[in-house]
Amino acid sequence: MARTTTTRRGLVSGLANGLMTLPAAAVYTGLTVVPVGYAVYYSFTQYNGIPSQAPTWVGWDNYVRIVTDPIGDLRPAAWVTLVIAVVGAFLVNGAALGLALLLRRTTPFNTFARAVMFYPHVLSALIVGFLWQAILGPQGAVNNLLENAGRSSWPFLSDPDWALVTLVGVIVWAQFGVQLVLYLAGLQAVSPELQEAARLDGANGPQVFRHVTWPALAPTVTVTIVTSILSLLKVYDVVLGLTNGGPGDATQTWAYEILAVSFANNKVGLACAQAVLLVVVAGILSFTIIALRRRAEEGAEAVG
Amino acid sequence: MTRTSPISRAVRVTVVAVLSAAMLVPMYIMVVNAFKPQQEILLSPLGLDLATATTDHIAAAWQNTSFPVVEGYAVTLFLVVACNVVAIGASVPAAYTIARTPTPLFRFVLFFFVAGMFVPAQIILVPAIFVLKALGLMGTLPGLVLFMSSTMIPFTLFIFSGYIRMLPRSLDEAASIDGAGRQRILWTIVFPLMRPIVATAFILNALSAWNDFVSPQLILGPGSQFRTITTGVYAAVSTYTTNYEIVFPTLLLAVVPILLIFVLMQRHIMGGLSAGAVKG
Repeated sequence: MARTTTTRRGLVSGLANGLMTLPAAAVYTGLTVVPVGYAVYYSFTQYNGIPSQAPTWVGWDNYVRIVTDPIGDLRPAAWVTLVIAVVGAFLVNGAALGLALLLRRTTPFNTFARAVMFYPHVLSALIVGFLWQAILGPQGAVNNLLENAGRSSWPFLSDPDWALVTLVGVIVWAQFGVQLVLYLAGLQAVSPELQEAARLDGANGPQVFRHVTWPALAPTVTVTIVTSILSLLKVYDVVLGLTNGGPGDATQTWAYEILAVSFANNKVGLACAQAVLLVVVAGILSFTIIALRRRAEEGAEAVG
Repeated sequence: MTRTSPISRAVRVTVVAVLSAAMLVPMYIMVVNAFKPQQEILLSPLGLDLATATTDHIAAAWQNTSFPVVEGYAVTLFLVVACNVVAIGASVPAAYTIARTPTPLFRFVLFFFVAGMFVPAQIILVPAIFVLKALGLMGTLPGLVLFMSSTMIPFTLFIFSGYIRMLPRSLDEAASIDGAGRQRILWTIVFPLMRPIVATAFILNALSAWNDFVSPQLILGPGSQFRTITTGVYAAVSTYTTNYEIVFPTLLLAVVPILLIFVLMQRHIMGGLSAGAVKG
């Protein structure tokens, strides 16, 4: 590396360096870091967001309320979010990896198919929600087809359990294209010589995948799992379009609870406590996954 | 490369073709039903009778006052451009400084920015509203642009600094010997070399700005004179979710521009995504 020995730079040069980071630092600090600080502060207060009424310090009350309240506030939403994150991450990654293996060769047909698999991602999640609501709703396209065929309609969005299943399905439909692109990029890094060598040694397709492709994909798998879980934890727009949280609170996610319930009802302190908790959970989850994946990634270096 | 039998190839192509068709069904339903009256949508959601097809409902959606379509496109496009100008413009010099000054202080500065990638935008939105109120920018486009840009800066800066680190330092030194100042080196030598990574950042930021709903809805406010595509669709559709004469044409108008752009640019969009995530 052409790195000069760290010479003592003058004060002027240091100041010039500082100035170059200033615009980015100002915008980022002002509208991300300071709000995070405020969110933490408000989370320890009772505050309704009305300027004339100052926040009153209540310590851990909001957090205690979230954790202990048996039915209220966050608990159902946290459960819904957990289901979406875990089941969704499995389905998104499974679908994406399976299709990546099918589409790994660059042919015109495969390029077309890749674009078709990816296109829902360029649509806004809100519009995806409205579109599927029009297709799967009680009077939507699918239920009309069923009724016209003389069958009874299906409660995709009107039954609590089915609504959650439908929500997960719609999210997977809209999101797996991103992970597909990541897996395709990861597959390019898998050595073709190694795969060919394994084949010549008599390994069949699944064996080549199990012993060569899958270990070499390990770093990609870490990235795809973490990015998919992080985006699944903050699902909000698609819920608004598809079910608006219903029926009842069956599809109210954590982010929905924060923005559409707590904040919308002027419970700013509580909304901030829920938000802080979500960031903490997201952080713990990501770091746990990265730590758990470390061994698999070391294996990848051995193979690659 | 690998040997494949014609049978397994045929199976593979069939599976992919069926899945691709399935992926496109929702688009098909949206397009055909945008040209049909409510009664026909309910009776035959999949068919299109050219004799009764009409553009009346699309015209009505175009003129709907709760979603002024042209203004929605314009405001959204403005957000895409303005947020990218702010986010990329601010990230380039900061990333350059961080990449070229390998001292503990600037390593910490990089860490400080990167930490922002783990903060979901929706989460800081609530307190950010109070900051914007204090700055007098609540309910304004500049306030919205600044907020959305601040959420884009961590990732943009992160991939930029990684990319600049790969550019040979000897370039800077040669230019410096020739008498170029720091700003000049950055903007006339380094920045042009960053074109691929700038394109990646632009595409990813543009997609998130284009599709954002929560930030414009909460920062501009539901009663704002400015409507983006997403807040316009929400205003037009949310109370009429079973009036399909409104729903389908409105959704069609909302997705046509981005789908056209995607069809034209799909290689760059998908390539940018993998470059950003893997090399970043």
